[in-house]
Amino acid sequence: MQRYILRRLLQMIPIALGISILMFALLTLAPGDPVDLLIASDPRVKPQDVARLKRIYGLDQPIHIRYVKWLGRTVRGDLGFSRTYKEPVTHLMRDRIGNSLWLTVTAFFLALLVAVPVGIYSALRQYSFLDYLATTFTFFGVSIPVFWFGIMMIYLFAVWHPWTAIGGLSRLVLPPGGISTPGVPNGLPFYLDRLRYMILPSVVLALLSMATYTRYTRSSMLEVIRQDYVRTARSKGLAERTVINKHALRNALIPLVTIVALSISGLFAGAPITETVFAWPGVGRLLVDSVIGGDYVAAQAVLMFLAVLVLVFNLVADVGYALLDPRIRYD
Amino acid sequence: MARNAVTLAPVAPAAPAQAGEGYWRIAWRRLRKHHLAMGGLMVIVVLIAAAVFAPWIAPYRFEQIDLLNRFARPFQAGHLLGTDDLGHDVLTRLLYAGRVSLLVGFAAAFSAVALGTLVGVVAGFYGGIIDNILMRLTDIVLTLPVFGVLLLLGRYFGGGLIAIIVIIGLFGWTVTSRLVRGEILKLKHLDYSDAARALGASETRIIFRHLLPNAMAPIIVAATLDVGGAILTEAALSYFGVGIQPPTPSWGNMLQNAQSYLWTSPWLAFWPGMMIFLTVLCFNFFGDGLRDALDPRLKI
Repeated sequence: MQRYILRRLLQMIPIALGISILMFALLTLAPGDPVDLLIASDPRVKPQDVARLKRIYGLDQPIHIRYVKWLGRTVRGDLGFSRTYKEPVTHLMRDRIGNSLWLTVTAFFLALLVAVPVGIYSALRQYSFLDYLATTFTFFGVSIPVFWFGIMMIYLFAVWHPWTAIGGLSRLVLPPGGISTPGVPNGLPFYLDRLRYMILPSVVLALLSMATYTRYTRSSMLEVIRQDYVRTARSKGLAERTVINKHALRNALIPLVTIVALSISGLFAGAPITETVFAWPGVGRLLVDSVIGGDYVAAQAVLMFLAVLVLVFNLVADVGYALLDPRIRYD
Repeated sequence: MARNAVTLAPVAPAAPAQAGEGYWRIAWRRLRKHHLAMGGLMVIVVLIAAAVFAPWIAPYRFEQIDLLNRFARPFQAGHLLGTDDLGHDVLTRLLYAGRVSLLVGFAAAFSAVALGTLVGVVAGFYGGIIDNILMRLTDIVLTLPVFGVLLLLGRYFGGGLIAIIVIIGLFGWTVTSRLVRGEILKLKHLDYSDAARALGASETRIIFRHLLPNAMAPIIVAATLDVGGAILTEAALSYFGVGIQPPTPSWGNMLQNAQSYLWTSPWLAFWPGMMIFLTVLCFNFFGDGLRDALDPRLKI
């Protein structure tokens, strides 16, 4: 097992290097380097200053040397300085990762809690009305544009609210965006307030994963209940509950573990859209804002962070799969 | 992009093949029985027709501004679906936007699948070090946070139709390349490939005459599902302002300002999103049916 993990780690090295080259390329592809952008925003900069600045920032050096230096800085945790926020990018991200986690973790559990039971039920009652309903839902979930779904939810629950007319129900109206009401005292009121802000964005963020997990649970369960060992369990006279829970479900959930681990980083990567629609101050929104604002250093740093996250969860998925399924050879 | 597949309808029990009936005929017969797929196909045909004939159907010109009737409600002032913040007729823009969105969808999906097929065929057929390099490249692209990268590239090069098509295509080929590689690996050691090789057929002949035609099922299914995916991606990029730029309408950029007018003119946000949703849904229904008809065992 240790050898397997070690081997997977070694296999990750070329991929990580490839990604770093692509990321560096993204930064150098940017129209204008940081000094050019500085000149554009300040006409008083003199040509000799430009040359001096380019030398200080090392922009006059050949590209491969710049790459090596950039890689060295990145590995040591120096992701550069944001032009628009006037702050090191690591500080910007540190403040926002927590906010993103609130949303991502909630959406993740929401997706799992709905998808696994629905998927199992769908598989056990294949072609029943509820199965059709669930499958239709998965089609909707993967076909709906996330940002539009978000806007529609805002409309339904924050703008158009017939329930405001019904006295006392106006508390059902949810905030259209943001993360908390200013001035709410700490403790329980804070969390209740945060919950109100989280309902819409976490549902929106969860939808795609929910649809994907439901689909995988269903198809994996369908595959497993046709296996011989399930028939054996039934023929031994075991209760249907035991057959499903102990024999079928446990095996059916193994592939789901991979999908789920692979998609955690996907949740993070999908968050930019949701976070922007709901003005949620997370890492994803930082990415969108810095791309739009032309702050390419910050944008690229967030992308790098997301890519590392994907790498880590890919490893988690592989190791988890090998741990759970003894049929996987890992040497 | 091919995350969009779900099995909905029961796999039609393989109808007894009649003598002399070819693979594609059988597939078409199976597809016709798949109601959702046929429904999806019909809607797609209608949408394409509406886009192609937009100049004749649309009540206004797409850049025409009715300044006296900005934010007109639906059915008001001669605007069936209302007008937007500048006084554009929403229905007209929806029709013209359909041209852009569908064109980007088809072209990007086509380039992605073509690229994926190329990579998959080369990797699968030649194997060894070439395969290794190409598959590591696939791994790298799969690890990228693609949406963020597209956002950044859209900001750099965006605005134009071609640029959007190229960048979506450039990052959407990975799933196809893996699928095709798997197919080729399976096919290249079958008897008919060996026979062709023994008869002295050239590599190109084996690839184009024997391998590719037999690997068409997953390629076609992936392409169909990719159209939906590409439309979704274009919409999101345009919504963020780094895709298709106004005044050229696309369903995505029509939603760009819609959120700020949600309180006063919610219909502006409703229609473009509904069109995206409907179109992508139909492509997914159709792709799903195609998979069942061509090869139900495909895992896309």
